[in-house]
Amino acid sequence: MLALLPQLVVSGTSTGMLYALIALSMTVVYRATTVVNFGHGDMVAAGAYAVFVFGLGFGLPFLVAMALAIALLFAAGFAAQRMLLQPIVAGPHLSLAMMALAIGYTLRGALRLQWGNETINPSRPYPQDVYLFGNVVVTTDDAVICGSVLLLLAALFLLLQVTPLGKVIQATFQSQRGAALVGINVPLFHALMWGGGAALGALGGVMLSLITPLTPDLGQWTLVQGFAAMTLGGFGSLGGAVAGGILLGITEKLLGFYVNTVFIEITGYLVPILVLMLRPQGLFGRRAVVRV
Amino acid sequence: MAEICALIGPNGAGKTTLFNAVSGNVVADGGSIRFRGEEIAGLTPHEISARGARRTFQNGGLFPELTALENVLVGLHAQVGSGFFGLLFGRRSAAAEASATMRARELLSTMGLAHIAEQKAGALSGGQQRMVEIVRALATNPPLLLLDEPAVGLAPAARQQLTSVIRNLARTRNIGILLIEHAIELVMSVADRVIVLNDGRKVADAPPEQVRADRAVLEAYLGHA
Repeated sequence: MLALLPQLVVSGTSTGMLYALIALSMTVVYRATTVVNFGHGDMVAAGAYAVFVFGLGFGLPFLVAMALAIALLFAAGFAAQRMLLQPIVAGPHLSLAMMALAIGYTLRGALRLQWGNETINPSRPYPQDVYLFGNVVVTTDDAVICGSVLLLLAALFLLLQVTPLGKVIQATFQSQRGAALVGINVPLFHALMWGGGAALGALGGVMLSLITPLTPDLGQWTLVQGFAAMTLGGFGSLGGAVAGGILLGITEKLLGFYVNTVFIEITGYLVPILVLMLRPQGLFGRRAVVRV
Repeated sequence: MAEICALIGPNGAGKTTLFNAVSGNVVADGGSIRFRGEEIAGLTPHEISARGARRTFQNGGLFPELTALENVLVGLHAQVGSGFFGLLFGRRSAAAEASATMRARELLSTMGLAHIAEQKAGALSGGQQRMVEIVRALATNPPLLLLDEPAVGLAPAARQQLTSVIRNLARTRNIGILLIEHAIELVMSVADRVIVLNDGRKVADAPPEQVRADRAVLEAYLGHA
């Protein structure tokens, strides 16, 4: 039994990287606006469908389709913040969360209208292969997902830590009042972060479509996994989102194999419950209480 | 030489509300707010800040996880005109970057804050935080600085220093100062003009020595201080 442990960790890490990307994209929006985007899962799903439409529908090369899908979701996120959230930004926090939820359901409804009874299996843009390291199998999917997410994380880390723009973003995350004081356009910042979060989510959707069939309800599951990863890592922490995602991926594989396969489905629901009861601030979070 | 104008009055007189209106943190119900000949009532805080009217808060205006130096640098980076896209796509030479850092260090050390430049703002004392916030606000050479009770919680020595800093800004750097302050000796020693508010209305607008002599003012405000 234990001989399979390395394999489970490797496969779990691959799925976990995907969760990490989704949790990270949710965290960006949360940190920028202090609103949990309950519609985020559906934006991820919309990104996955957009690639499918641009690629198979319009016959565009995969990378072009992916770039278009990411750009489209950036625009959608930006526009949603500007037109739907900004007008009520001074209102109660709950209204903003409800609006985000409504945006998600609207997207899901649109996907259902078109693909309500279908399950789509997008084809990979590369041949699936397996590589053996000792007795651990690494698929091309694993390599592509891990490689892409690691590259993205490195780029984001450099952006945030090294560039002046990164300092301005960090600063605005920390104090919106302070940001406005020094002349930063905070409403524009919110819109850009909604766009950025949706674009990152779309990339997550693209990766997701490599390993799972597309249904209009994909966003539901995606939101739960992203939320679980955020809670586990520490709500609002960028590094925590990444660590939480990877840990969640590994945990569900281990529980699924050693305990019962049903855990692969329900770990994402169990983790927030356990974390909130035992360690509400998560593994890397500091603030115990957050507004949702 | 710019003017130092102090705004005094009992609690609830409307001093902070006036500040909030000028800095765009609340929208005035009526009337007009003119800054350098331009109507600014209804503009957002960042738009007003970008026009050169910079305010400080009593607390909570700094970026707690950034160092004092980084706080000042962000103030410089977010300067007029650059915007997010400017920061993302604009080319900044290493030399410009280095000179911004040098300038920020220099400003911190003229305020006696060189030793805390590398400390996280959130870990500094209240008085130090307020000084860093002032440095950040004036790093861009704004024509107007609005200071909200800068002396609260400062030790006497730090108050002395603050007094000379404020005087210096107006005298040598030509930065106009609008000041809310309860520390009356500070007000009397730095202000060119004192405006007394009571119950939302202006009850006096005169040089400090005249205000000090005004019985009505004394009764309205100083008597209760």
